[in-house]
Amino acid sequence: MKSFTKITASLCVVAAVVPIAVVAKNMLSRDPEISAPDIAPSSELIARGEYLTRLADCQACHQVKGGEPFTGGRAFQLPFGTLYSTNITPDPETGIGTWSDDDFVRALHRGVRPNGENLYPAFPYTSYTAISRDDAVAIKSYLFTLKPVQAPAKKNELLFPFNQRWGLALWNGFFLTDRRFKPDPALSSKVNRGDYVANALGHCGECHTPRTLAFNLSDRIYAGASLEGWNAYNITSHKEYGIGAWSDEELKRYLLEGHAPGRGTATGPMGEVVEYSLRHLKADDASALLSYLRTIPPRPEGFVANVKESSMMTAASGSLPVATDVIEPGQRVFERNCASCHGWNGGGVQQKTAALKGLRTIYDPSAANLLQVILHGTESSALPGRSTPMPPFASLSDGEIADLVNFMRRYVGSGGKKIGAGDVADAREYQH
Amino acid sequence: MRSTFTLNINDERRTVTAPPRMPMLWVLRDLLALTGTKYGCGIAQCGACTVHLDGKALRSCVLPVGDVGDGHITTIEAVGRTDNGEKVQRAWMEIEVAQCGYCQPGQIMAAVALLNERPAPADFEIDAAMSGNLCRCGTYPRIREAIKLAATGKTDAMRTLVIGPSADSEVKEP
Repeated sequence: MKSFTKITASLCVVAAVVPIAVVAKNMLSRDPEISAPDIAPSSELIARGEYLTRLADCQACHQVKGGEPFTGGRAFQLPFGTLYSTNITPDPETGIGTWSDDDFVRALHRGVRPNGENLYPAFPYTSYTAISRDDAVAIKSYLFTLKPVQAPAKKNELLFPFNQRWGLALWNGFFLTDRRFKPDPALSSKVNRGDYVANALGHCGECHTPRTLAFNLSDRIYAGASLEGWNAYNITSHKEYGIGAWSDEELKRYLLEGHAPGRGTATGPMGEVVEYSLRHLKADDASALLSYLRTIPPRPEGFVANVKESSMMTAASGSLPVATDVIEPGQRVFERNCASCHGWNGGGVQQKTAALKGLRTIYDPSAANLLQVILHGTESSALPGRSTPMPPFASLSDGEIADLVNFMRRYVGSGGKKIGAGDVADAREYQH
Repeated sequence: MRSTFTLNINDERRTVTAPPRMPMLWVLRDLLALTGTKYGCGIAQCGACTVHLDGKALRSCVLPVGDVGDGHITTIEAVGRTDNGEKVQRAWMEIEVAQCGYCQPGQIMAAVALLNERPAPADFEIDAAMSGNLCRCGTYPRIREAIKLAATGKTDAMRTLVIGPSADSEVKEP
């Protein structure tokens, strides 16, 4: 509960020291919320809304794995408790069926329910606030074409004082920049569109930008952050720490197909982003997003994956490793469980998406994503090259998994600190 | 969504109509009646379904038919026609490796692929190539012995298990 104490303490400090001026400034600079009667949706508006709903990636959070889309119920494990997403089908009782356009727009822009209750910022209204009213109404029009499903909200399990929704009004006063997106005239319309796709709709920063102690997004844009046991990596334009060295083709393949050979395979939460959102990007939006990502200032944070260096992995063949003086226990775990799909040279055997070569996951000193993938496997997916997902290996012991991780890092020539069985036990705490 | 694929299986052209994501194992067993290849786990964890694609061992249960293309698939039905396949099968009979036999097609395919790459494999290479093939009868010592027999032509090539008096003085009976 160390982080809880820290967060509480820092909240108190912020509240005591920083004058009301911050809040006042935020309140005064916010864009006025226009009120308008509900519009009758046309089929064009609904089609646009469907596309925007995908870009805003609503589905990934508003469903449980394998459950009915948009009915909510997904758990978010946060340092102060567990939150559940809600039903956004047009069911009048348990969904948003009675909401007006104004209600929906206000929820997206200010994080407020029609009854005035504040929503928790796990719902990314701090990003959605930049969405234009037209786009918000289009999203609502699409959601209202879904089959209404009776799915009552699960009760959040939050610690005091975080279970007091009124506290969020104060938090919003400090941290919600209640303004719609305005294109930067100094930048091309393509980069501006990419900014809108990435930040207003795609809310990339909600995972990739580190948060401060008060849990608002810091100004270290896309420098990498961790949540629910996963690391969202540095995606700034830094050539070593970020994705600056990726070619346009590699970035495009990763974002649209979930796999860029020699760079990475999107799994876990990012796999969902590709599955539900990015793979639907139209060509011009994909290219706008790419152009925008190139403009993110480089930040040397996180870690460097020295993928170019030769290693035991690069010396191996697909089916055999090279001779070593000692065979460490982790190599035994690898040969029994991993080699037949990933290959000793990390090239991927049956499916190229199983390639390990170049994966940042293996170089990450925290081993966070590597542990989550080993423990939980990957999801079945409609993405290319994913006909068979990786099975979970949670039945291996903590010690075996620690040995495996330590072996894999040495195998690819990564200089990370060794992990222990305790780290694996900690990683098991996260349920996905 | 089904597509038609012309596959090269055991040096014959075979045409099948199947969804591109259908595992080769289903194609072999259910569409082509090549039932020598066995279903074990379906998640590439046991090796019973091992076949060759261009001489390399693969788990057919996770190999989508749409990814095979022009590659040459060899199954247990035809592997005996290759030099290494014949050597391995003879060694298997000589040592009497099989017990229940269910995993053995996969074991033999993995062993042949190993010898294709390493005509005289070291112990660690046998481990690396064969550890993904499970045998619940525990015939592992005989599998290792048969691989060494196939590779060297000698039955006493294996030092890791004592079967009767050995000419090699380093191996002593307890």
